Amino acid sequence: MLGLAWTPPMIAFLVISLLILVCAIMAISFRKVIYMALAIGGVFLGCAAVYILLGAEFVGAAQILIYAGAITILIMFAIMLTNHEAEEPPAAWSVRNIAAAVGCVLLGVTLYAVIRSQSWPHGAAGADVNQGQSNPVAVGLALFQHYTVPFELVSLLLIVALVGAVILAQERKEDE
Amino acid sequence: MSPYWNAYLYVVLFTLFGLLLPFAALWIIGPILRPNKPAKGKLTTYESGLEPFGDAHVRYHARYYLFALLFVVFDVETLFLYPWAASFHQLGLFALAEMLLFIVMLAIGLIYAWRKKVLEWT
Repeated sequence: MLGLAWTPPMIAFLVISLLILVCAIMAISFRKVIYMALAIGGVFLGCAAVYILLGAEFVGAAQILIYAGAITILIMFAIMLTNHEAEEPPAAWSVRNIAAAVGCVLLGVTLYAVIRSQSWPHGAAGADVNQGQSNPVAVGLALFQHYTVPFELVSLLLIVALVGAVILAQERKEDE
Repeated sequence: MSPYWNAYLYVVLFTLFGLLLPFAALWIIGPILRPNKPAKGKLTTYESGLEPFGDAHVRYHARYYLFALLFVVFDVETLFLYPWAASFHQLGLFALAEMLLFIVMLAIGLIYAWRKKVLEWT
């Protein structure tokens, strides 16, 4: 049916992608920012399920811990710092909306073309993302042997965020 | 592969059960079991025995954001330690140096926040 192999992973993938899409649409159609943040949390959870489905259990667990747990809370805090009581009025149908729709369609077509032009690994040997290791070990080997510089840059990024938050907290302290 | 997938069926079952439980407790089984004698005092929001005032959605102080961000920073650090520890036997001393540099960088951030006295709660 529909040219798909109806295996359990395929059915699981379809259910999960449906959940992700529903949460993503909810995230952009809610009028209250707090509900939007919660819906983004749902998207993160769905992505974690996709990672686990692909055999990357550690990445899935990391996605739940960092994105669904910490980042959603951080977004919530950022929202709570602002005047978030205002509700967004329903936007009228304008030229900008049509331009955005055209842009979305173009982006979708480009992404589809890029994904289709790639040669994806097939079969039992190519499909193993972990190359015979357990997933945390495979992630560790890739991270500390091949992606050393990006890994150290992560610490720099975290420092920058931390310094920004310190300055923000300090400015407010002086206001009192 | 097959028994492995069946293990994830339990995750799905637990998720569904977890979603069902509050609905059942609040709207299905709860109203059958509990007595229903509403009064004005009973219907107010429970706020640890205090009279509730204002709205729950108040603007937070910016200092809470710092603590949330500190949590995220060290959450990420802990997360990177796990694959590092799991693959350490195959990586050797270079990985130790990498991780030490990473931890020292984040420790500098913590010391900076400490020296700026933003961690103190006055």
